[in-house]
Formats: sequence, structure tokens, C-alpha cells
Amino acid sequence: MTKRLTFTTLTAMMALTGGMVMAEEKTLDIGVTDALTGGAAVYGLPQSNAVQMAVEEINAAGGVKVGEDTYMLNVIAYDDKANPTEATNAVRKLIDRDGVKFILGFCCSGATGAVASFIANEDAVMLVGNAAERSITTKEIANLTRTRPPADYTGAAAGTFVAQKGHKKVAVLGALDVGFYASYVDAFEAELKKAGGEIVTRESFGLKDRDMSPQLTKIRELQPDAILVVGYVEPAAFIYRQAVELGIDVPRYGFTSGSEEQFLRVATSEQMEGVWDLRPTELTLLSASENGVAYHANYTEKFGIAPSPSSPYAYDQTYALKHALEAAGTVEDTAAVAAALREMPIPAEVVMQYLPVDGKMFDANGQAYTSNGAFQWQGGNWVFVQDLPSDAAAYSAFLSTID
Amino acid sequence: MIEILQQIVNGVAIGGVYVLIALGLTTVFGILGIAHFAHGSVSMFGGYLTFFLVTSWGFPLLLAILVALIVGFVLGMLIELLAYRPVRNANHINAFIVALGLTMMVEGLNLQFFGHEQVVIPTNLSRVFDIGGVTIPELRLYVIIAAALLIIAMTLFVEKTKTGQAIRAVAENRDAAILMGVNVKTIPLVVFAISTALGVCAGVMVGSLFAIAPGIGEWLVVKGFAVLILGGLGSIPGAIVGGLVLGVTEALAAGFISSAYKDVIAFVVMIAVLLLRPQGLMGKA
Repeated sequence: MTKRLTFTTLTAMMALTGGMVMAEEKTLDIGVTDALTGGAAVYGLPQSNAVQMAVEEINAAGGVKVGEDTYMLNVIAYDDKANPTEATNAVRKLIDRDGVKFILGFCCSGATGAVASFIANEDAVMLVGNAAERSITTKEIANLTRTRPPADYTGAAAGTFVAQKGHKKVAVLGALDVGFYASYVDAFEAELKKAGGEIVTRESFGLKDRDMSPQLTKIRELQPDAILVVGYVEPAAFIYRQAVELGIDVPRYGFTSGSEEQFLRVATSEQMEGVWDLRPTELTLLSASENGVAYHANYTEKFGIAPSPSSPYAYDQTYALKHALEAAGTVEDTAAVAAALREMPIPAEVVMQYLPVDGKMFDANGQAYTSNGAFQWQGGNWVFVQDLPSDAAAYSAFLSTID
Repeated sequence: MIEILQQIVNGVAIGGVYVLIALGLTTVFGILGIAHFAHGSVSMFGGYLTFFLVTSWGFPLLLAILVALIVGFVLGMLIELLAYRPVRNANHINAFIVALGLTMMVEGLNLQFFGHEQVVIPTNLSRVFDIGGVTIPELRLYVIIAAALLIIAMTLFVEKTKTGQAIRAVAENRDAAILMGVNVKTIPLVVFAISTALGVCAGVMVGSLFAIAPGIGEWLVVKGFAVLILGGLGSIPGAIVGGLVLGVTEALAAGFISSAYKDVIAFVVMIAVLLLRPQGLMGKA
């Protein structure tokens, strides 16, 4: 009797153990490199958080089903401080030491451009988030995709919008030594000129500058109809505040993608009242889709702070990767996964409002397009006012012509 | 004309901050011959501390500044006692390495305690005064007044008090000061305490006018050393004149020549001055 019991118990244990082996989950490491500290962390840290949140959601929903296997995702994140050398080192570590094949994040153009310059030679897939420099998707890199549209795509739409407002003399104050900000202004100016307007001055500031009153004093003397501010949220917030302090009362337009919380650390809501932000139709709670509302609530609960408007670019790239892995049926063949990314329709889980090109999320260059929007600061919030004219298919065709 | 006046007002406010930083650096350099690179990071610590006391503990701003000043005073003495005193009689390179190490340490502590986010010290001073077309925000005006008062107080302290005279005596001739009965062990403590307290004031001004963030301390100390060289190494009047010249030059360069090259232009002016007066504007030949 005792022997029979023991045998039965052993059999049951073996069956259980065997079952456990059969049900063992596999883990797939994915990499993130982004600005987690330093001046660009206002964009990079929310992106890294967004990837982490998407991964937890995916894992909680059963993981990524690749063929017969199910993978739980694990994030390995490095801080590149938006520095090209640091980003290169981070990606080398991810590929060479950690064995990662799928790398996400990339908030900032300088660091992203450095990695993009060699990623074509690597057995890896690079998914770019917020970095807006156009040249990132003009080099026909098969294993690179980007969720954020290039800056000049938005700049042209912004120029048309400002011209339609009747402004003829626009003064620009921007981080013009940063390529994508300069390209935004160039595209803006081209559209403004078509309507008979002009840019009366282009004033610059550095990313660490916080006193722009000398430039604003000069702009005040030129008596423009409007000012256009292009740059990171932190200096931009100081510009809006200092413009009011100097008595400049013309309309203020910008290209910054900062959240309410980020601006209110520097300027009062009264000082921000009426400011326009002309940018891709990114997350703002008042204009968010159902996914956007859920994203905002979940992010705020998880991290104790509201998400930045551009952070869903990274959330969306994580879901894009999940669907590409499932479609390709492999976690080893990066070429197949990269090809699957270019063939996929827009996933249902994404937060941003993408405009498909030929029914796909990414065009042949690996570039995704959102609509562009005019947001205005009203009573303490960014309020979506209207869409800006955005022709994704035409821009995609234009992008293909650039070397 | 109004534009020129406006740019000068713009420059005086930032120039006042440069003066406070340079005053701290120049007294340390004058007495001990130490390039105290950590001064900018210590200033930022003072700004961060004030921000923390106001936002997290609900201190009134002036009380928070007072507490930060006292902490700065003590911190300055500790820096002298623990970091620089042990290498005082060693080769100059030792103090140089200590200064660099201290900079990294204080920057790291700032990052650890206060995070990487940019912070702005809340003041609720948002009025703007218009004087004949020249606008002066209330906060900027107070910064200019406070900087002026601190400069006057520092000048009076150095010129009129016994401790100030002892500081000058040690700066002029350390051996002679010993013979005159000056306690040369105490003087460096006092100098570092005052220097750090001035740095804390500058940190509070930067934090309320602009922002405190990682990296701002480095920017501030670079400007401080530029002022030090421009005004004359170890010269207190030189730090005052040099700071104001640098601040106003930057504003005028950004307004009338090129905003992209305002820092370059300011440094070109500095080099030009040094070509004509290698000892600096107020330095001794």
C-alpha cells in the first residue's frame, strides 16, 4: 500500500514537473537606449517609461506568440544622455554584450543619427521614437523604422497655418544649431513665403540657455506680427515667460511638444495663455483617443506623473515590434522582422493617430506619419484646436527622392 | 536708445550673478591659490536646497534662503577642512585634482538627492515694471538689488573689519601676516565659508531667475573663471567690474551682433582686454 502510494506520488510529481517544463516561458530581451538624464531627459525618460509600460501590458496579456513559442519581454535600458558617443556605446553593449536584436527608444536626433549610421551592418532592428531629423529615414536602412514624422513634414503644415492666420512678419527664436529644428523653420518659411509673408529675423539659443531676453529685446524692436519658438520645452518655456515680461503681445507659435506640467514648472498659466504649439498630433488628454485616455491614466498611475505628449511614440514602437515578431514568426531572423514591420497595418493598440501609407503603418523608408495639429494653451491646458494640412502620401513620395 | 538700455538692464541682472560667483572664486584664489572648480556645483546645491525647503517642507522663501546660507557657510568650512587643508602644503597639482574630484562628487550628490529634472525656485514675483519703455520684471529687479547689497556688504567686510583686513593681509603676504599675529589656520575656513555662502546666493538667484539642473554648475563656474581672468586674479573690485562687463557684453552681443555667437563674442572681448591688460581690468601688473 505504501509502495503504491509512493509510486503514485512520484508519478504525479513527474507529470507535474514535466508539465512545468512544457509550459516554461521564454524570455526575449529588448533594448532601450535613450536620454534618461541630462537636458533631453524630458523626452527620453518618458519614452523609456512608455516602453516599460507597454512591455508589462504585453506580458500581462500573455506575451508575444512567435510560432509555437510564447515570449515574455524583458527590457534592458541604457542612458545615452542624447549624446552620439554614449548612444553608440549603449547600442554596442546591447548588441555585443547583451545579445539584444531589437532596440527601441531614441528620443533625440544627434544620438539617433550616430546609431543609424552603422545599424544597417548589424544583425538588429532599430525602432526610432521621438527623434525628428529627416535624414534618419532617407538612407534606405532596411532594419530601421521611425514612429515620429520628420520635422519639416510638420514645419510646412505649420507655415501654412500661420500664413492663413494673416501673419506677414514672423520672428523666429530657436535652437537653430540643431538640424531638425532648422529644417522645421526652413519648411515653415517656404510655406509662409508662398503666402507673401517673411521671416524677419532668425535668433538662436543653446539648449542650456535660459535667458533669452537679449534675443527677445531685439525681436521686440522689429515689431513682428508673430513669433515662432522652436526648441526643447525647457528653454521654450522661458521664452514664453520672458516674452510676456518684456511686453511682447503678438501671437506666439511654437514647436516644442511639452506637457502642461513641464511648462508650468517655468511659466505661469497666465503667461502661457494663448500660446500655440504646431506639432504632430501627439497625446493631449483633451484630444486623446480611447487608447490615449487609457495610456494617460495608466502612465500617470504607474509613474506618478503625467506622460509627455511625445512619449507614446515609444509605446507604439513596442506594440509595432510585438506584431512584427508575431507576423515574422521568428525572434532570430532580424531581416524578416524588419520586413514585417514595413508590411504591417497600424496596430489596434497604438496611441498616436497615424496616417497609413498604402494601408501600412510604415512607408518604404520605414517612416510612419501622424496627422499634424494646432494646439493652443487655454486655461491651463493644451487644447486641440484643429488639424493642420498633412499629406502623408505626398511627403512619403518626396522623402523617397532624397539621398 | 531704449533697446540699448533694455539690453544693459538684461545684462546687469545676469552680470550680478556672475559677480557673486566670481567673488567667491576670487577670494579663494587670492588667499589660497586654489582654482575651486566645485564652486558652481556647490552653488547649485544651495539652489536645490532652497527649492527643496520651499516646495517639500513649505518654508517661506526668505527663511529657506537663510537656512541654505547657513548650510552653505558650514559646507564651505567642511570643504576647506576635509578636502583642501590636507593638501595645502603639497604640490599644486594635488589641490587641482581635489578640486576636480570634489566637483564630480558634489554634482553626483546633487543628482542623487535632487534628481535630473530642471527645477525653478517658485517666488510668486510676476509683476513687470515699465520705466520709460524699459521693462524690468520684479524678480530681476530684486536680483539686481540683492546682488548689489551683497557686493557692498562683501566690500565693507573686506575693507572695514578686522577679519577682512586679516584676509587681505594673508592674500598680500602670508609670512608677514603670520608675523603680525594673524591666525592663518582660521582665515581659510572663513574664506571658504563666505565664498560658499556667496555661491549659494548665486545659486538661489539662478534658480529663481532661470533654473537649476545638472550641468548648470559647470556653466556657472566657467563664467566665474572668465570673470576672474577678465577682472584680474584675486581682485575683488576686478570680480565686480568683470562680472558686469561680461553680463552686459553678452546681452549686447546677442542683441546687436549675433545670438548664435554671444558667448564667443563675450570671450573674444575678454581676450582683447587681456591682450591690452594681461593682468586683467583691475589686476596688479
